[in-house]
Amino acid sequence: MLKYNKMNMGEDVRGEGEVSMQCLRIGRRLQVLRCACLVITLFLFTFSQLSCAPLFRTASRAPDDGSIYGGEVVVGITQEPTLFDPHTVVAAGDEEIIFNIFEGLVKCTPDGHFEPALAIDYSISEDAMTYTFLIRSGVRFHNGEVMTREDVVYSIRRAAGLDTGTPLRSELSDIQSVTLSGENEVSIVLNEPDAELLPFLNVAIIPRSVSDINDTPIGTGPFKFSSYRVSESVILVRNDDYWQEGIPYLNKVTFKITADMNTAFMQLRSGSIDIFPYLDPEKASQLTDDFQIISGESDMIHVFALNNAVAPFDNPKVREAMNYAVDRESLISLLMSGEGTMIFSGMSPAMGSYYNESLENAYRYDPGKAVELLEQAGFPDGFQATVTVPSNYAHHVNAATIIADQLRKVGVELTIVSVDWATWLEKVYTDRDYQSTVIALTSEFAPRDVLNRYVSDAHNNFIGFNSKEYDRIFSSIRSEPDEDERILAYRRLQEILVSENASVFFQDPRNIVAVRNGLIGYVVYPVYVQDLSVVHYEGAKE
Amino acid sequence: MNYFLKRTIQLICTLITVSIITFCAFYVIPGDPARVILGPDASDEQMDNLREDLGLNRSFPVRYFRWVSGALTGDLGKSLTFRQPVSELLGQKLPVTLSLAAMALLITMLISFPLGILASGRPGKFLDQLLSVLGNIFFSFPPFVLALLMTLLLGLTLKLFVAGEYISFTESVPGFLASLFFPALAVAVPKIAISQKFLRASILAEKNKEYVRAAKSRGLSDTKAMVLHIIPNSLVPIITVFTIIASEILGGSLVVEMVFNIPGISRLLITAINVRDFPLTQGIVLYLAGMTVIVYFLADILHSLVDPRIRLK
Amino acid sequence: MRNIIRYHRHSPYLIVGSFFVGIVLFAVLISFFYLPHDPYATGIATKLIAPEFEHPFGCDHEGRDVLSRVILGTRPTVLISLSGILIALVLGLIIGSIAGRVGGLIDNLLMLLSDSIMAFPGILLALVFVAVIGRGMLSIILGLGIVFAPSYARIVRSGIRQLNNREYILLARLIGVKTPRLLVVHLFPGLLPQLLPALVVGIANMALAEAALSYLGQGVQIPLPSLGNMLMEGQSYITSAPWTVIFPSLFLVMYVLGLYFISEGIRIKYGSGGTEK
Repeated sequence: MLKYNKMNMGEDVRGEGEVSMQCLRIGRRLQVLRCACLVITLFLFTFSQLSCAPLFRTASRAPDDGSIYGGEVVVGITQEPTLFDPHTVVAAGDEEIIFNIFEGLVKCTPDGHFEPALAIDYSISEDAMTYTFLIRSGVRFHNGEVMTREDVVYSIRRAAGLDTGTPLRSELSDIQSVTLSGENEVSIVLNEPDAELLPFLNVAIIPRSVSDINDTPIGTGPFKFSSYRVSESVILVRNDDYWQEGIPYLNKVTFKITADMNTAFMQLRSGSIDIFPYLDPEKASQLTDDFQIISGESDMIHVFALNNAVAPFDNPKVREAMNYAVDRESLISLLMSGEGTMIFSGMSPAMGSYYNESLENAYRYDPGKAVELLEQAGFPDGFQATVTVPSNYAHHVNAATIIADQLRKVGVELTIVSVDWATWLEKVYTDRDYQSTVIALTSEFAPRDVLNRYVSDAHNNFIGFNSKEYDRIFSSIRSEPDEDERILAYRRLQEILVSENASVFFQDPRNIVAVRNGLIGYVVYPVYVQDLSVVHYEGAKE
Repeated sequence: MNYFLKRTIQLICTLITVSIITFCAFYVIPGDPARVILGPDASDEQMDNLREDLGLNRSFPVRYFRWVSGALTGDLGKSLTFRQPVSELLGQKLPVTLSLAAMALLITMLISFPLGILASGRPGKFLDQLLSVLGNIFFSFPPFVLALLMTLLLGLTLKLFVAGEYISFTESVPGFLASLFFPALAVAVPKIAISQKFLRASILAEKNKEYVRAAKSRGLSDTKAMVLHIIPNSLVPIITVFTIIASEILGGSLVVEMVFNIPGISRLLITAINVRDFPLTQGIVLYLAGMTVIVYFLADILHSLVDPRIRLK
Repeated sequence: MRNIIRYHRHSPYLIVGSFFVGIVLFAVLISFFYLPHDPYATGIATKLIAPEFEHPFGCDHEGRDVLSRVILGTRPTVLISLSGILIALVLGLIIGSIAGRVGGLIDNLLMLLSDSIMAFPGILLALVFVAVIGRGMLSIILGLGIVFAPSYARIVRSGIRQLNNREYILLARLIGVKTPRLLVVHLFPGLLPQLLPALVVGIANMALAEAALSYLGQGVQIPLPSLGNMLMEGQSYITSAPWTVIFPSLFLVMYVLGLYFISEGIRIKYGSGGTEK
């Protein structure tokens, strides 16, 4: 003790050094130490207790009385919503939310048809120039106003840009006029015949009285908009006046915005998210205890897009070689654990009769043939190229990484250039200043919308596909009144995409949805929407 | 008085420079915000409409002047992506980030002060050495790596918290604080190490001062000397250290927020940068930088009030 | 013997620090000659497999070998931190010596500028910078260099102001030594004790900033591996494959910890300021 004391004197400036004093001091110091530890422990303890609280809080969202009506669900989404104006919305992530708030004259069904919604019935004139809708009566907007024909006219005029001259939805640009007709009918007259406009008339009907629909999203859908907190949640509540009997079931739907799939996955496990779409198959397999895993075709075209206008991909032989060099099967198993449908042309099997199934296996993985084709194209030693991918979509970057690895086997060095989304849109999509890219293409559930982007002068033909025959057939479809003829033409278009080797179309990823056990009725749509009006709790067992 | 005046002028100059840097930086940034907002399938007509709407066609000085005068009145324009006033978004998200930073600062103080006092008790001895080595180790853990490891160890293995779970303060205040605790700890740990070190050094320096010796020789007990004289006085130089720490905590919070999926200012900022949302990015950057400048300023003023000698320097 | 131990009383910091940094530098070095596996080779057979003999660090979500990627991933981290600090130092020396020697209005303006830059939280300014001039390696180096420069400028400036009045400087000036020579030969070496630890810490901070930027997806771009973007990619698989996060973290922490230890060691040895009395 004394020895210690002496050594301390120099540094520590403790004048008097009696043994007893020193012991006392050590005792005190220990006390301080203990106190400090106690405070810290208490602090940690309190907070870890508190942080367990959410687990208890989110125990059950099912209705208390065991009824199938009531209760609430939390749906996880990973894209930040940006717009609630249904006419200007373009982001798929926004559409999946507002599908529950707004409705159009017709509505997409889970099997990919369009059925009357705010219209009771419709007719299309022989010459495909006039569409007439019989408007449903007694429908109320979320603000209590009754929906009238005038609202329908206003909404379609607004979306088609009849008053401003610039359409908000370009598919509606051929509308000449929208007028009241007959008893409770609305007629839409076109500039040119178009037998296939119906899918695009799902355009939302909004009240005339609301001037800023983006700030106050008011529609006729099964749920009303309640609140939006950036990066946190969008909350919808039940529309008690919904025109369709018996639905919706839930009182409240929260779209919870998570940063990525991983955080959503952890929240699924912890119980704070009930439904999560577009789940990674590998993660879905870990959730089978508490969740039903539902899946369906997503009508999404995942493509290794080659710029047809730029060397070396301006050479069809090179593009054909790429199609043989990419091993679709192993790509899908790496990327999606196999949960994707192989495709070879620009349409998904989800499109039913429009889809040309004879093109399946148009290319079989064959690196030897790819090398041969490259030799014929004048690249006996392969070549170097870049693939420009949007860095915020890990999925596409991953796909590009795998493709680059596969192409190395045929001597093609693919360098990955990852750019942010804004740059991608500008460089690749708008300026078409790129060699190749990986992207997923979505569209309205209409064959025309799917195949429109390969018309040589289409604004969204970013792969620069150019085929006179394609353009001719595509433009003839519009005025063709016979559905069977149109189907044949669409199938022919897909063949052209393959014979010209437009790009490497590789999969339609399956949409895998985790739905908590006890929730019933969720259906997967072949388009990017979440229909929550039919979801409900199973209620008390009889 | 001269000192305050000088500092105030400095403050204003710094704020102006900060605003110019911020504005210029985003003026030259590439990428078309209209395309980003409308997405790949928008038509040219939609794009033109929007550009006009957003005032993207105006010239540089006009835009800068409008922005600065707006900023002074609290109007930072409208976010291009969210179509909401930037100030409203800041009002929504800033409290989250500031709460996180404040909690981290609190944890830092609550843990580092006792540790600093402990370590200064017997310099060079085992406890002190141990704290010093531990401090050096923890100091070098990047907050976001610490955050990841905490998610792994405390969240997934020990199940102390749900990784990525966040409860808004509008839902429940205790829940909100609880969901911030571990993120705050991740930010705080490296700072605890550094502030413990400084506090220890400062206390040791104070202990050696003559007035302390004099007081003790007149019979003042160690504890009293510690509580009444040494600690209060050794805190004066710590003020400066803590302002630097506060600013670093803010920076650290930005990254840690992303790891823990906290919807604070950082996610807003990254989103804004990714989608070329100029008004929003500028607003966030200006606000954060402005706040730091003002905190430094206030710390200097506080410092000079506590220790008037500063004013003479 | 005793004396030697006494002399090296604090060098455990230097030894341990050099050891850690050595490992990381070694990884950078061998990345040029040998990698156990192709760091870009994907494969379904190795997707997310746990560490085993063939793949000691396991494999990631695309079946790529984590060990090879970590080895390669140390390269951008080390490269950016070293060259970034060089830029920061050069800028700091230039600005600091101008401010310190010239003084007056220019001094005030330069210090105002560096104050303003220091007002931004470092990572924020780096983010802005990278957003403005693009995300290449070069822009990260430049951006971080500029972000870090003001603190060195301040050290240089105050150091020069202190040394200015020293006798040997006054004498040197009396015998007509020109300013540039005066700076390089007489002033800069005098600053070394203060600058050196700050530089070593700067390298560590820069490595951290690079990792944070890459983690946020704004720094080194995938598929080029860096310790930061490996963490970003691995985070999504932290539940099922923690090794994709643990090993990159380990190397990052070793590098940073090692540098901090070295700087602590230098500080103790030089006895300049520091916290050890």
